[in-house]
Amino acid sequence: MKIQQGFSLARVWAHMGLALLLFVVTWIWTVQIDKTLGFSVIASGSILFGVLVFLALFNARKRLPFLPLAPSFIWFQLHTVGGFLALFLFWLHVSATGEKGLYGQILTVLFYITSFSGVVGLVIEKVYPRQLTCSGGEIIYERIPTEIAEIRDEVESLVLKSTDETGSSTLAEHYLETLRWYFQKPRFFISNIFGSYQSQHWVRQQCMILERFLNEKEREYLDKVYALAEKKRKIDFQYALQTLLKTWLLVHVPLAAAVMAMATWHLILILVFFI
Amino acid sequence: MAITTQVRPQRWDQPFGLFMTDLDVDRLLTFPEISAIEESKFPSHCPLRGILKNDARIVKYSAGDIVIREGDYGNSAFLVLDGSLKVVLFPGLPSEMLGRQTIRKKTFWQALKQLWSRSEIPEARDVKHLGLHALVRESEDLGAAHVFLQDIPAVLDKNKTASLSKGALFGELAALGRTPRTSTIFAESDIELLEIRWQGLREFRKYDQGWRRLIDQRYRANALNAHLRATSIFSHLDDKDLQEVADATLFETYGKFDWHLTYNKLQSQNKIHGIKDEPIIANQGDYSDGILLVRAGFARVSIDRGNGQQTLTYLGTGDFYGADELFRAWQGEPNVGMRVTITALGYAEMLRVPSKIVEKHLFAYWSSGREGFRQATSQSSLESRRLQDFIDRTLTDGALMEWAVEERFINGTQAMLINLDRCVRCDDCVSACASAHDGNPRFIRHGKTFENWMVANACMHCADPVCMIGCPTGAIHRSMSGGMVIINDDTCIGCETCANSCPYSNIRMVPIRENGGNFITDPQNQKPILKATKCDLCADQISGPACVFACPHDAMKRVDFRGTELDENTAGI
Repeated sequence: MKIQQGFSLARVWAHMGLALLLFVVTWIWTVQIDKTLGFSVIASGSILFGVLVFLALFNARKRLPFLPLAPSFIWFQLHTVGGFLALFLFWLHVSATGEKGLYGQILTVLFYITSFSGVVGLVIEKVYPRQLTCSGGEIIYERIPTEIAEIRDEVESLVLKSTDETGSSTLAEHYLETLRWYFQKPRFFISNIFGSYQSQHWVRQQCMILERFLNEKEREYLDKVYALAEKKRKIDFQYALQTLLKTWLLVHVPLAAAVMAMATWHLILILVFFI
Repeated sequence: MAITTQVRPQRWDQPFGLFMTDLDVDRLLTFPEISAIEESKFPSHCPLRGILKNDARIVKYSAGDIVIREGDYGNSAFLVLDGSLKVVLFPGLPSEMLGRQTIRKKTFWQALKQLWSRSEIPEARDVKHLGLHALVRESEDLGAAHVFLQDIPAVLDKNKTASLSKGALFGELAALGRTPRTSTIFAESDIELLEIRWQGLREFRKYDQGWRRLIDQRYRANALNAHLRATSIFSHLDDKDLQEVADATLFETYGKFDWHLTYNKLQSQNKIHGIKDEPIIANQGDYSDGILLVRAGFARVSIDRGNGQQTLTYLGTGDFYGADELFRAWQGEPNVGMRVTITALGYAEMLRVPSKIVEKHLFAYWSSGREGFRQATSQSSLESRRLQDFIDRTLTDGALMEWAVEERFINGTQAMLINLDRCVRCDDCVSACASAHDGNPRFIRHGKTFENWMVANACMHCADPVCMIGCPTGAIHRSMSGGMVIINDDTCIGCETCANSCPYSNIRMVPIRENGGNFITDPQNQKPILKATKCDLCADQISGPACVFACPHDAMKRVDFRGTELDENTAGI
């Protein structure tokens, strides 16, 4: 049995290449239609609509995992090819019709935003999994709040214990003033998304600031708090990337639905008033 | 500081039968099969009376009750004290009659119908349909239940059977050898049996010559020849020579039969130290005195590397090792020692075919003709080459196999392996699983990870399915058609034995509900009825495992670690 290793960019290029090839074939066909004084815009529009319907079917396929409709990864690959093809065809179709009306402009904007969200989704789906693996601390998304709460409880009990044992409240005060914010919920969302080291730097900085005010016994506690802060940092990273991986579809799918609805109405109008 | 103390746990803290008394033991000692055992041969720490009281129990079955079923795994043998039983001979009883689930693939329309017919409530059961325990009845023994046959005369009419009566012993080979039961046996009349768990049986075999002779003879007569015949290097032998090999073969067992019961706990406490804890079957550098065949369980093959041991591969049931070393020594090569160390992974039952017999029946054959010699050379060099390939591997190349062996994932034949570099954590696999299984996923997309690989908490359909040991109704069983381990929801009584036995925590107990959403409860104590649930590889779905089918990124595979190209050389040495 062959087990696929990590993703390679070659597959994305292959999908784009295939889409380009299909586009060129369509384009040549439309040119031929134009030469015979036909309406190439009808041909490109029909093919574009067909491709859009096919793209939408992927979502339907996801809801039918128990039907033998080919494995989902085949659908995904075809969806990617279809997505690029739709982008090229849309350009061909729109440049032929020269959209000027408000409806057409809204449809155009929606289509490009949808396509853009799709490309962004494709990129993050290719890049983020590897980053999540490398960061360590693999965790189920839904468990993140519980995990953070557990870390927070652990930190707070450490801080209290430190106060009890050492008779000094320096660590506790610093926790209340600064670190508590960090342990409350996932932080540094944006910087994690862009792979910045800001959270790592912040945690280290906060511990360094405090260190010179602590005696040896308190430092032992600080070390433990630091270790937990590092653990939380990894969870924050998982949270940020997994959130994006899960939510980009919440943008892409509704936009795609809107495009489909507008394109269908556009088609109906064409069929009623033009043909 | 106060020191916490605890009385050291003893072997018989948890006796097999809760209600065995000294009077029962006295009574057992009047039966000829037991009275013939010489009490004096047993050591003081393990007296015969102790074994009878703690490793055995008296059980009663009503007419029609199934005592053991073909294909089940069991850890005990039975001695008939009173009554008679019937053994159902080939081809055996149909699955439905045994309380097993018959898997029928859904048609396309039935599959599609799931879209609107499935309940919104997870783990909902149709109460009207609940012939829940139609095939199960409670036994006199507390907490036990038996599957029974409803029409014994019809069974006797339609099937060939053999009789077992007072004094007969059965079930000992499967109990000691950790192999599936080979036939179904049911009570013809109301019967009384002495059920002896494998630990007690092992002591009987160890300390009493009569029982040892009986068990060994029966093994040799029933199973050994078939095992040797199925081993490629002995396939050329005629019946007479094979019998000679069988007669000379030695039985050896290593490790703990019930390693799975403590594995999880010890591992979570970091008390498992890998290879250092494993019983050694053969040591690197030692003189090889025979070919080793694995009859049951698994063995690790490793070599010394630096200050530790590097795992090369593992041996499973039916595999063998040692022909190459013996052959080279037989050809006159000086100082040929074992090239590897072999240790038992949890539990391994081995057969050792002594070198003299191997020389006589294998090497003599190999060198007797051109064909034989060619076979010998190729067999020997192939073995040698494969082994060398393993040895030549870098530590990095072999790391995944090392990990899989360490975590015992090699037991799985359908382990759920996720490539985390591809997985976008979308949980489409989980949703698909829930869609195909009463709205509740049968696995958790979480598990142990190594590099970019994760083995998720999904049933691996183990080669050695320890979860099946001890199921009182045989609800958890291996499908005769697909080989997957499945649970019959109708006969599962929710006792949690399987869930507690699974060393990988891949079986979950769930409360079931009626279609309205209320929990179905036990009328006696008002507690929810629990059912064991686990991955069944979507046995009834036409699409196959929905999880794999639903993964948009091809990140998930169901794998047998031995067959993957991650480590294509692990096909056995």
